[in-house]
Amino acid sequence: MNCQRFETVVSELARGQMMAAELRTEALAHSDICDDCAARLGDEQMLTLGLQSLASELESLEAPRELEAKLLEAFRARTVVVPIAKRSNSRYWLAAIAAMLLIAISVVAFRWSNRQGDEPREAIKQEQPKPDVSNKSTEQLAQDVEKPPVEDSLPQQWKPKRVHPVTLRRPNNAAVANHVTKEIATDFIPLSYMSPASLQEGGQIIRVQVPRSALANFGLPVNMDRYNEKVKADVLYGVDGMARAIRFVQ
Amino acid sequence: MKLKSDVNDNDLLRLMLAGDEEALALLYRRRQGSVYRFALQMSGSRSIAEDVTQEVFLFLMREGHVFDDSKGTVGAFLLGVARVHVRRRLRAEHRLEPLGDDAEDDDVFMQSATDVCPLEDLTRAETIESVRKAVLSLPPKYREVVVLCELQDVSYGETAEILGCAIGTVRSRLHRGRALLLAKLRPAADVEETGATTVRCFA
Repeated sequence: MNCQRFETVVSELARGQMMAAELRTEALAHSDICDDCAARLGDEQMLTLGLQSLASELESLEAPRELEAKLLEAFRARTVVVPIAKRSNSRYWLAAIAAMLLIAISVVAFRWSNRQGDEPREAIKQEQPKPDVSNKSTEQLAQDVEKPPVEDSLPQQWKPKRVHPVTLRRPNNAAVANHVTKEIATDFIPLSYMSPASLQEGGQIIRVQVPRSALANFGLPVNMDRYNEKVKADVLYGVDGMARAIRFVQ
Repeated sequence: MKLKSDVNDNDLLRLMLAGDEEALALLYRRRQGSVYRFALQMSGSRSIAEDVTQEVFLFLMREGHVFDDSKGTVGAFLLGVARVHVRRRLRAEHRLEPLGDDAEDDDVFMQSATDVCPLEDLTRAETIESVRKAVLSLPPKYREVVVLCELQDVSYGETAEILGCAIGTVRSRLHRGRALLLAKLRPAADVEETGATTVRCFA
């Protein structure tokens, strides 16, 4: 055994704790040949004695006697409180039943008044055309979806619990443009020397299919494995019927 | 019904929760000493120890049903509750650094609680007083272990239950706590002379 190992067992040794007999013998043998470790063991033993003296000094200390009386008094008071608590519980039950009856009556009255109001509303509904969803822009649709539902206006106690709150993200511009077909398109590539002003008068976009090799003419990369396949393209025609620009669509 | 003194703590607790006052009295008489001494040794204050003892048993009356005998003994449970209350009281009175703060360890390690060497030739009373002061000046996490294992003679396993840590942690904290105590009780001159608390010889 060396001093490092001795250091790990010296407390146990000094405290007289259970330890392997062999380890104990080795530790004691080491303390016989090492003065520092013998002194260390001596210190630990003195400390143990000091702590034992302190423990025995405090052994007789107890909480004041009046504390027991106070606790027992508190225990009795707590026991006496039980019937009072039971009586107050029955009051709570009565209040709860009354509240439930009130709620039930309110719900019946609310439904009854709604049923009466529904008849003229249904007539109005038949006259009113349904809003044309297809004419709405994507942003309008998104806003419609994002409108707070009626539940949000209800008081907190009436709100139904949401199981999974879903966050609706507003689509970015590119996604808005392609949200229907999920298409990816390049920018328009001009086919002739023209000024953007010439398109102010208006134009028309026609979807066509062109050979994939046409991509190379515009400096776009071509997958040679799919060389023979067609690729979709939007051709922008001016009011004069001339093709102005093209974009490729995937 | 007259309860016999050999009824175990678990049964006494169960009877007490059922409203048996005698069970509470018996349990109190059996366990108040260790709770009171633990609080006193941890705080060094009789008033805190009294308050803590009262709070522990009031807690037992109110929340005794939370005790789970598969997790430990009633004695360990009470000391665990006492520990929480002592920490709370001392923290409120700014007499204790928060538990788990290791920053102070090295500072107190080199401080000496006394200029004389009680380990050698002082009278028993002075030695006890020096040791008591040294224990009180230990960082809380070491003090708890020293108080429980050395002064209350609680086993390592039960101390681990009370503190909610592993037995290995109890051992290492006790070892460290004892080293700190020795450093505090050793005269400053001796520390300066040797320059270290332990000397390795690797013999």
